[in-house]
Amino acid sequence: MNTLHIVRQSAFATNDFTQCIQVLNAADLIVFTDDGCYNLTHQSIKQVSEQVKLMVITEHVNARAIDIVGTKATAITMNDLVALTFQTDRVITWQ
Amino acid sequence: MPFFCSFNSRDIILKKLAVVITTPPYSNLTITALHYIEAALHININIVGVFFYQDGVLNANSKVQIASDEFQTIKRWQALHEQYQLPLHLCITAAEKHGISDENESGSLIHDAFTISGLGELVELSTNAERLVQF
Amino acid sequence: MTQTQSPKSLALLNSKAPFASCAGKDALDIALVFASFEQPTTLFFQGDGVYQLIQGQNGELISVKDYLKTFSAFEFYDIEEIYVCQASLIERGLSSDFHIDNVQVLNQQEFANKLATHNTILRF
Repeated sequence: MNTLHIVRQSAFATNDFTQCIQVLNAADLIVFTDDGCYNLTHQSIKQVSEQVKLMVITEHVNARAIDIVGTKATAITMNDLVALTFQTDRVITWQ
Repeated sequence: MPFFCSFNSRDIILKKLAVVITTPPYSNLTITALHYIEAALHININIVGVFFYQDGVLNANSKVQIASDEFQTIKRWQALHEQYQLPLHLCITAAEKHGISDENESGSLIHDAFTISGLGELVELSTNAERLVQF
Repeated sequence: MTQTQSPKSLALLNSKAPFASCAGKDALDIALVFASFEQPTTLFFQGDGVYQLIQGQNGELISVKDYLKTFSAFEFYDIEEIYVCQASLIERGLSSDFHIDNVQVLNQQEFANKLATHNTILRF
């Protein structure tokens, strides 16, 4: 039983990601899309448990010149995001 | 390395998806939603419907003029509707609030790719689909 | 995977304060329609969303149609599960004095767990 969280806003601008963190369970997944990609360097990322997998959409980080090397995030495609929608039990969009 | 296995299209045959759009046509957030929807359609996910709510209803405004060198959001919705028979449901209450109605002396402001609908349709889509994703 | 036969449950996660944005009313409209179609519907309030539950508000003073009054109809619609994030209340210095009954204040883990029992979650 796990939840896919699609996080679309920067924690430097809104508190959507902070609220997401408050409802995370251990087996959950987070995919950062759009400005959510900026969250990789926000201090709140440290509050995310090691077990929660972090992912970003390749084009979204590249468009924003965000380097994910050294972060815990894996780059995925939009096809992967669609697949994850059905591989998890529910999805919550944080925007 | 991604933890999930690359999916077999057999795994997702008969997977039904519904999508809610709450962002306007000039927002890059809507373009992301379109890319998601297109990815789903290309891998044969059955999108039972897209429901437009809040500012998302602005995507149905036939009078929207997007600069020609920018992403043509409205044309993309129309193309998906035509190519995949993708149902585009417009919440009429939200639409009227945004000044988009089908009752107008000069004809309907609602682009004909969109179906006039209500929240009852969202219940239907949600019941029918295995996943409802919000954008 | 066979499709479950039991009705899907919907969670509406409210994150915005009332009045200044339409998010609260937009979420409420969805909740009432789903409930009227007998779909199990649960309301969650987190962040500024908790302000929607506070006693003594009056949107009419600022020329807003006070949709909060409709909350008293939840029981009639069989919306019986209403959960509030405790941390959000504390952060805002709010007590549990709500304008409706039947609201349960949950700590972080309880709130997260309860949310995860729902099939579909929409956040406004």
